[in-house]
Amino acid sequence: MNSANEMNVEFDSVAKNESFARVIVASFITSTNPTLEEVSDIKTAVSEAVTNAIIHGYEKGAGKIWIRTVVEDRSVYIEVRDKGIGIADVKQAMEPLFTTKPEEERSGMGFSFMEAFMDRLEVESAAGEGTVVKMWKEIGAPAPHYE
Amino acid sequence: MVYEVANGVLIYYLPEELDHYAADMLKRKTAHVFDEEEIRYLIFDFSKTQFMDSSGIGLITGRFRMVHDKGGCVYAVHVNETIDRILLMSGIYRILKKMDSLDAIKKEMVKGGYYE
Repeated sequence: MNSANEMNVEFDSVAKNESFARVIVASFITSTNPTLEEVSDIKTAVSEAVTNAIIHGYEKGAGKIWIRTVVEDRSVYIEVRDKGIGIADVKQAMEPLFTTKPEEERSGMGFSFMEAFMDRLEVESAAGEGTVVKMWKEIGAPAPHYE
Repeated sequence: MVYEVANGVLIYYLPEELDHYAADMLKRKTAHVFDEEEIRYLIFDFSKTQFMDSSGIGLITGRFRMVHDKGGCVYAVHVNETIDRILLMSGIYRILKKMDSLDAIKKEMVKGGYYE
């Protein structure tokens, strides 16, 4: 039995850090012995959450983003946190294809992707309070299949 | 080379990682093309691409709107398994035709009335 292993990182809310964010999480979770597909799922989910924080949370302005990752045996927990404008209606924001920024060609699929690629997703937010995205994934579980 | 334009065909040679940062850069770099020339066909070449998130989907649907009115078509080529999963999941294959090679795309285009 392994004990839990935790990583915390803080970085600036700028688009070029999206790549850094998903790469560090992907490297940190290698101890869970994930398949390439599982790594790709986690990278996509992290990328979606961090992109949301940059574009929507801070509306491309200055700010900090925090990622906390905990692995225990083959369980992965990831938390992406910002202190941006927050989401007034979380339920609506999570509807597939919903976007507040169609003019910027946002697909509105960010939360749908996080839900699809992780086992569980929770979003805590309120207007003016920032946003916390919590995601769980069990490595080695049967992969979802898309038609 | 990031993109190539000839005879109303715009080919995007997509980067290794197609995220919000890369998608925004591509949009900016090719915005002028749509003003200068009538683009009817778009080809997204995924040869180099190993990572993509929903920002890539936004890039494709945005460009699709720009050619759709002119009766144009949008193609994807050299799509690997990882990228294929993302494209499948997004439902974008309703507007994006996946083909095996640039030659196969050219044949499709000719059938649709394209000539060089």
